[in-house]
Amino acid sequence: MIEVEGLRKVFRTRRGPVEAVAGIDFRVAAGEFVGYAGPNGAGKSTTVKMMSGILLPSAGRVEVCGLVPYRERKRLARRMGVVFGQRTQLWWDLPLQESFELVGHLYRIPAADRLRRLRRLEDVLALGPLLPVPVRSLSLGQRMRAELAAAVLPAPQVLFLDEPTIGLDVEAKAAVRDFLGELNRTEGTTVILTTHDLDDITRLCSRLMIIDHGRLIYDGTVEALRTAYGTTRVLVVDLAEDEPLELAGAVPVRAEGRRRWFQFARDEVSAAELIARLLASNEVADLTLEEPDIEDIVRRIYRGET
Amino acid sequence: MAEPARVYLHLAAAAVRATARRPAYLAMRTLAAALIVVFEVAGVVLLVDRFGTIGGWRPAEVVLLFGLAFAGQGLALLFGDTLEADKVSQLVRRGTFDQVLTRPVSPLGWVLASYVDTRFLGRLLAGAGTVVWAANRAGVAWTPGRAGLAALAVVCAATIVFAVLLAAAGFTFVTVQGSEAVNVLVYGGQYLASYPMQIYGPPLRFLFVWVVPFGLAIYVPALGVLGRQGPPGLPAWLAWLAAPAAGAFLAAGGLAWRAGIRHYVGTGS
Repeated sequence: MIEVEGLRKVFRTRRGPVEAVAGIDFRVAAGEFVGYAGPNGAGKSTTVKMMSGILLPSAGRVEVCGLVPYRERKRLARRMGVVFGQRTQLWWDLPLQESFELVGHLYRIPAADRLRRLRRLEDVLALGPLLPVPVRSLSLGQRMRAELAAAVLPAPQVLFLDEPTIGLDVEAKAAVRDFLGELNRTEGTTVILTTHDLDDITRLCSRLMIIDHGRLIYDGTVEALRTAYGTTRVLVVDLAEDEPLELAGAVPVRAEGRRRWFQFARDEVSAAELIARLLASNEVADLTLEEPDIEDIVRRIYRGET
Repeated sequence: MAEPARVYLHLAAAAVRATARRPAYLAMRTLAAALIVVFEVAGVVLLVDRFGTIGGWRPAEVVLLFGLAFAGQGLALLFGDTLEADKVSQLVRRGTFDQVLTRPVSPLGWVLASYVDTRFLGRLLAGAGTVVWAANRAGVAWTPGRAGLAALAVVCAATIVFAVLLAAAGFTFVTVQGSEAVNVLVYGGQYLASYPMQIYGPPLRFLFVWVVPFGLAIYVPALGVLGRQGPPGLPAWLAWLAAPAAGAFLAAGGLAWRAGIRHYVGTGS
């Protein structure tokens, strides 16, 4: 669905050339749900702009849906949906209903098809009551749901999302995520999700790409990232009584009343071993095991600590 | 532009519906656009009246030229108002233009249709009204030919204003910063070119007729409307050149716009 080879983009600035994307390669198969992460200025949006035909690459090859984006911009636009979290693609002053009608005209969707598809989207995204409301009066969560509906109304093969959950409350985030997961499963839409919210990525993406300084520094599953970089886990122990506790093979990192936190390295000792040792020596009220936080791992990768 | 024009009609209709949702505001803006014409024309009348005539033209005849120019401006701005440098600059800086490029339409068609501003009908109609009023005062006996010449002048003047805006917009894609300089050129230039051409010396006259052909678009057809003879070198029959000249100017503006888009897609911002 997407092929990127040796892709580069150099911006000429007053302070000399800046290499925003410094030669990246990847392929995305049809139906994949890919998270694209990286610190600000890493080259994320430049890559997405080259894939969507907004920017011309300085070098390398990019193909989306078998089309060269900048050369066949309009043809690609018919097969592609785009949602920018911080900007609207809807008609601000008009009732939401009219935005959907205009999208129908723009993408030449026959009216009957549009209505059928819209009825389904209205159900899933709970848009019904919003249709007569001017877009400017929608809440951010309502607007985001409407943006998604407008973007997928033409049934795109590939969907580029830029921070679709930014600023949303927990419930609205969940609605957006549920919808995207469902869309990917039932319609096989290929999704590229650019985000800072790693929760979005762990919940939705089968694959994660991390870019930094214009280069891909990670491309694989979220699980593989955890095992590769998340070498330490934390055992949280609630003791039956407040007493000193030492555990061979684990480092105490925190204590609060009868609760203790022990950090241990995955490849030095197993959780089972540690728990066996603990239960042999102390009376324990409760136990939990904390997996490495993906956000922590990614932050460490950005800082170059791994 | 392979896609049917219908898409752009839908976009323009949406823009009109959006402004029509606040009718009082729209009416006020339309009235303001018309009043500008009235005040400017009053200024010209007061000025010319002091001298009696300008280059042998009576006030009503000079006002006719201004009426044609304003009507042309109104027609051009009806579609081209967003092409003004600071507005294009905003489209670029807010990322709106990136979004336009992800739509299956021509970016120029999108921008023109989506930002149709009906308040400039006020300027167009006030300009046309000025022409009718001035022609009446100047004792013009309307014939189909004379009405056709007046319409030609309006359309050609509009085309030239639009072409200058288009070129300026293309330029703004490169600089990103909106520049007042362009507005000075567009409106100041047109203002100067709205006076009878014989008051200018050969260099300026050459500029207004053959380089930025406002004079060819407005003054020369007006000679025919008023039944006057032009100064040496500017006979009334040159009016038939107004349309091709405006067309050529538009083509040049179109090239500048395209160059601007190419630059934008090449470098982003």
